[in-house]
Amino acid sequence: MFLLVVLMNLFIYPVIILMTVLGIILFPVCFATGKIVTPWDNDRLMRYFVWAYGRAWMIIMAPFVRFKRMGLEKGTVDLPCIIVVNHLSFFDTYCMALLPVSDITFAVRSWPFKMLFWYRPFMRLASYLDLEAIGWEGTLKECRRLFSKKGAVLFFAEGHRSKDGQVKRFYSGPFKLAVETGVSVLPLCITGTDTLLPPHRWWMMPATVSLSALPPVYPGEFAGDGDMAHINLRKHVRSMIIKHVEQMRKA
Amino acid sequence: MTDQEIIELIDTTLVNEFELNIDDMVPGAALKEDLGLDSLDRVDMVIVLEKAFNFKLSEEETIRAIRTLGDIHNFVIRKKQEMQ
Repeated sequence: MFLLVVLMNLFIYPVIILMTVLGIILFPVCFATGKIVTPWDNDRLMRYFVWAYGRAWMIIMAPFVRFKRMGLEKGTVDLPCIIVVNHLSFFDTYCMALLPVSDITFAVRSWPFKMLFWYRPFMRLASYLDLEAIGWEGTLKECRRLFSKKGAVLFFAEGHRSKDGQVKRFYSGPFKLAVETGVSVLPLCITGTDTLLPPHRWWMMPATVSLSALPPVYPGEFAGDGDMAHINLRKHVRSMIIKHVEQMRKA
Repeated sequence: MTDQEIIELIDTTLVNEFELNIDDMVPGAALKEDLGLDSLDRVDMVIVLEKAFNFKLSEEETIRAIRTLGDIHNFVIRKKQEMQ
């Protein structure tokens, strides 16, 4: 096991760096080609490339990581939607390439825009949402635009990675958004990335990563709750995710 | 609305929104250290207070300087007085 872990880390990190550097170098040509062969806007095209980058990452990880997805076969994700997922690892974002749709806009805090400088221009080009910078009005406006184009907006509702694997308190943003726009919430559960690369560790371990979708939740079901609608929706989705994550871990 | 009613409404609103313990809602409670509310929670806090009191807060510079629950109480009471 020790040798496998050493081999994994010696292999994966350089290859990811190489893939990223090559991707950055080749990006202008790929993007120009994409503009010619697809009818997509710049941000939609960029989101496709991010999704494809995630797919390439999965291929690199495949010798050491087994990927499983449940309830996410092609055609099972109704768009537009608000995707809410639990958060265990830096690599959770890469695992969203397991989703059968590529038009996913990540709604994130300000730090990834500040710290991940090599991804920053691509995040901007993909119209990712910097929630702390644009505030509620900006988020609502931008999400309405994305939903009108049948896109999905993804939130890690805990706001940060869980250090002990337990699902933490959820922020209200995605649920207020659902109540305000009438767009459904798709609860997603991820497990295994906390074995692969948890928050307190920099070296990777072989793992089985599972991503499972639960039935969509419609905000209309909470319409009678008045000012408590988004809170009750949030509690409902969180409890669904907690229960399912436990089942996934037992399985 | 009296000052006490304003304070009670603020506390109830924040307890419901952030699943806080009502016993922790004392004026000296620091938003970050004692109540565990971070910068993203502040975005949500502005929205719920705007809704509860029916005024606009997001453009206010003072809201960014708020550190404790007591600061919120004073801020909203002052804002309500200005509106009257």
